Amino acid sequence: MRNSPLSFSVNLKIDKSQNNSSQFDYWILFSIIFLCSFGLAMIYSSSNSLEMTIRQGAYFFLGLIGMLLLAFSNFRKMEVFYLHSFWPALFLLIIVLFFPSENSKTSRWIDLGLFTFQPSELMRFILPISAASFLTKNLKTKMKDMWLVIFVTLICFYLVVIQPDLGTSIIILLAGLLPVVISGFPWIYILFGGFLATLSLPLIWMSLYDYQKQRILTLFNPEADIYGAGWNIVQSKIAVGSGGLFGKGFLNGSQSQLNFIPESHSDFIFSVIAEEFGLLGISILFLIYGILIYRLLMVSFYSSNKFAKIVSGTLSIILLAYISINISMVIGLLPVVGMPLPFLSQGGTALVVNLLTIGIILSLRKEV
Amino acid sequence: MSIFDNKKETNETYRIVIFLSPFLILLFLASLQILNLSYFNADTFKTQSESNRLYQSKIIPQRGFIFDSKNTLLVENNIQQDLEINPSFIENPRIFLKQIADLLELNLNKIESDFYIRATGKSPNEPYILIKDLNEKQIAKLSVNLKKIKGAEIISSFSRNVIHKEIMAPVIGYVGNISREDVFNNPELSQFRSLKIGKTGVEKDFDSILRGNMGYRIQERDSNGKLIRNISLEPPIKGKDLRLSIDLDLQKKLFSDFKGRKGALVAIEPKTGLIRALISSPTYDPNLLNTINDYEEVKNLFADKDSPLFNRALSGQYPPASTLKPFVGMAALEAQTISWEKQITDSGEYYVEGDERPYKGWKEGGHGNVDMKKAIVESSDVYFYSLAYDLTINNLSPFLEKFGYGKQSGLTENEAKGILPSRKWKLGYIGEAWFKGDTINMGIGQGYITATPIQIALAYAALANKGEIVKPRIIEKVGNDSTEKVSKLSISLSDNKNWKRIEEALLGVVEASNGTANNIYDRSIRIAGKTGTAQVKSIGETEYKFLREDESLRDHALFVGYGPVEDPKLVVVAIIENGESGSAVAAPLVRKAINLYSKNEK
Repeated sequence: MRNSPLSFSVNLKIDKSQNNSSQFDYWILFSIIFLCSFGLAMIYSSSNSLEMTIRQGAYFFLGLIGMLLLAFSNFRKMEVFYLHSFWPALFLLIIVLFFPSENSKTSRWIDLGLFTFQPSELMRFILPISAASFLTKNLKTKMKDMWLVIFVTLICFYLVVIQPDLGTSIIILLAGLLPVVISGFPWIYILFGGFLATLSLPLIWMSLYDYQKQRILTLFNPEADIYGAGWNIVQSKIAVGSGGLFGKGFLNGSQSQLNFIPESHSDFIFSVIAEEFGLLGISILFLIYGILIYRLLMVSFYSSNKFAKIVSGTLSIILLAYISINISMVIGLLPVVGMPLPFLSQGGTALVVNLLTIGIILSLRKEV
Repeated sequence: MSIFDNKKETNETYRIVIFLSPFLILLFLASLQILNLSYFNADTFKTQSESNRLYQSKIIPQRGFIFDSKNTLLVENNIQQDLEINPSFIENPRIFLKQIADLLELNLNKIESDFYIRATGKSPNEPYILIKDLNEKQIAKLSVNLKKIKGAEIISSFSRNVIHKEIMAPVIGYVGNISREDVFNNPELSQFRSLKIGKTGVEKDFDSILRGNMGYRIQERDSNGKLIRNISLEPPIKGKDLRLSIDLDLQKKLFSDFKGRKGALVAIEPKTGLIRALISSPTYDPNLLNTINDYEEVKNLFADKDSPLFNRALSGQYPPASTLKPFVGMAALEAQTISWEKQITDSGEYYVEGDERPYKGWKEGGHGNVDMKKAIVESSDVYFYSLAYDLTINNLSPFLEKFGYGKQSGLTENEAKGILPSRKWKLGYIGEAWFKGDTINMGIGQGYITATPIQIALAYAALANKGEIVKPRIIEKVGNDSTEKVSKLSISLSDNKNWKRIEEALLGVVEASNGTANNIYDRSIRIAGKTGTAQVKSIGETEYKFLREDESLRDHALFVGYGPVEDPKLVVVAIIENGESGSAVAAPLVRKAINLYSKNEK
């Protein structure tokens, strides 16, 4: 138990050292603010819609407040709340299947009148915290608990797959399984699980929707159907490539300004950045992402608290997964799945959730 | 405990790094791919991105106008609004066509068939016109709704409008799309695709002048085909205007006398070779073909057994009949096988030694004793049978050739040559030796010989010019430049007085009481001319075969004349198919033409 005298004394010691340095990680805060502001500019550039940009700006503002509130909250007191917030998240995940927002083909959104939000986004945020909390309730994690978390994760995964939302379902899988494997799930089981997953690939292939299969096939030969399924990839590659070293300039990317890139303001926003700011812009973007992830990982590495380690580790990996998968898919390395670029892509729920994630990690930092 | 805790913590950090690494590797691969795209292949993608949004389109030049000799506008270009579609922007053709059909209240089936017909042979990026000549209501509806329909646009274009339609059709001709065959014949045309070129008449012969130069426009468009802005513009250059030698007034008044009868008329200024009137009947409305809106109508036009599209004045090959007699006479005078004074007895029939068959004259009982002048005035057949027999084909054909028989007139490449038979010709085309009887028939312009109306007119122009042969022209001015008279070789006779004497004989045809065209005698303007009655059964060109089958076998009426004889201003030939008598129906037309023209000239 974390309330043991030992861990208390450790915490006390670190608290002292933290008082010397900064209580708050400004590196993280500034990279977040930079990324989000840059994202707003790119959303404006690719959508030419001030309304959409302002809307995203409002989410950013809300998310930022939420992040700061979490960052300064007493994490210890919140842990029980996180543990049990899994249940309402699961409830919403089920609800969305029955009452999806009407103006969408998939049942991903819940319409709350004023705005819509994605329960799957909420779940991929709640699941790792709640799982970590569950797994660390005993000093030594019990195998039984691990199996239970795996089981619950698979249920959530399934619920998101049938929405259908392949991209987020992958993230859900990571969100639930990473706490398990980080907290010490035996390697032999992990390897066996990976082996099983590989075997079931044909089965997964068969269960995919035609459009999903098409996306995967397109990856290997996008030029086969330039005006059909390959359109996204081909146009997005043209955008990235034509950006060259220094890009075409803000609001000057012909590919995005003339709508050759579909979903340019959301999932494909990276190609707009590449087109308008070139290799130089991408390098700066990578640098900022690098700083952010490095600082987040440091929280995990330096934390002596197992719960904090698992949560910040999992959330950091998920963030990196989002970034790497999104970029790979935009430049044609991975099939097109619905996966936004963190802090940059348009999408209110994702932005708020990402900001809250950072807030959690910042609050865990105090646990170091 | 503390050691155990520490070990466990490192184990977790270790695991975090392990599960982080796949995504780091992925990001590393992505970086390589980005470098590949935007550094090593940037130029390729830059070009692709340019071609993605830039569209080059042609701007069709306005075709030159055509005026008559008095600067009356004959052919203009109407501006019309068409619906142009770009197939590469159409996502679902069925839905697209349904939307268009509903909006314009048009028949969906017709639009669909047009869509597929016109799309064939074009690249998917090439825009083309789906619906021509939109009316105001359609334009209003479209301009409101077009934003919602991808791949369609209203564009203005020109449609060729021949103002006097049927009257001018044989002269002007019509325009149409460039066919594969056109490009094959003239590879230069391939750059003018989507332009209309002249298919017949002046439109065809002077196409390169009327056509003008293409303009080009480079436009930036978005992925939906919506125009963003014009990048560059090279304006088209309008084709040059043409001024024809045709006198619209004259043409109109003469045309009205055809009253739907089949035939042709050519009126040429003998001194200049300028054609003042050119009529072919029946005719057609060239605007039907200039803007094909109804394929059925066009099909009917092409299938019409009276072949209205056929230019009889330039390509109708008729036996010259008695109009040839003055030339046969002159040939005999040149060969000295006859003199002006020598008389031949015409008893109505002519016999060749050793042949029982009679060659009949048109007049029962004959003309009695006839000399050359009387033979021309009364159109004695027997006299010319005898002349031709003595002359032989070897002397006759070369002489007729000098007057342009058997050769194109040089007005256009698309006219018939007629047939000037010779021994060689008959052997080659018919596969038989030449018989004396063939020469006898040819003496009265029958048998194998055929000529086009314009050839006959030019031969008589040479008579009016006393030997000077001029090249016919139908264009007076190209832009601001006048065309010049071209005269070919002059024909010289052994006795130049013969020109005058032939003219006197031709005057007699009209002015003598026994003249065959005495009915058009008019003291004020003296006309020299010759009647002719061509036997239908001897018409022998492929285009005309069906005419023989379908129409009655009545003879064609011919008259050719020039006047005023003191200073010939106009040579006119008129042919009325199945008109029976040249003097009754054709001669009055010639008289009318010369009278009208002479009065106008004063």
